Amino acid sequence: MAEAVSDKIKNYKTAPFDARFPNTNQTRNCFQNYLDFHRCNKALSAKGQEVSPCEWYQKVYKSLCPMSWVSKWDEQIENGSFPGKI
Amino acid sequence: MFYRSNIETYSLRLHTGNPARSAAAEESRVHLLIPLFIFISGGATMSVLALTRAALKNPDVSWDHKNNPEPWNKMEPNQQYKLLAVNMDYSKLKKDRPDF
Repeated sequence: MAEAVSDKIKNYKTAPFDARFPNTNQTRNCFQNYLDFHRCNKALSAKGQEVSPCEWYQKVYKSLCPMSWVSKWDEQIENGSFPGKI
Repeated sequence: MFYRSNIETYSLRLHTGNPARSAAAEESRVHLLIPLFIFISGGATMSVLALTRAALKNPDVSWDHKNNPEPWNKMEPNQQYKLLAVNMDYSKLKKDRPDF
């Protein structure tokens, strides 16, 4: 499973179709992947595993999200004022 | 029933619009309006059904924030919510996100 994930990460071209977000408005897709990246990091490091599979989520949100949003959220996470649940 | 009486044919007659006539007279013409009722009730039914479907099935809708906070995460990778999806073969989709 880890090999399949790292292969997918290596062959990454762009964010794939996500059935949860089929419409034109992809805002939630961007935010969900950002959340999933941080939740994945938190969960895997709590379990003591490597966090390299979480890179998938980072690639997807970097493809989807405007850079200003990403930098704003990163700042908020450093401040401790990020509104989402991680 | 569409003819005027002989006396009235050649005289100018104002349309006074007697409302009592259309209900109590022998020639009710409500049956001519039945297609209208069909279209209106059909449209109303469809809109109510669409709203109900959106309220109950739309993955963006959460009525209970405590027990169902992110309902879109409960969808299968090949589950289709749209009624008509052009150029998207949902049967070929697989899960491609890593678990954690």
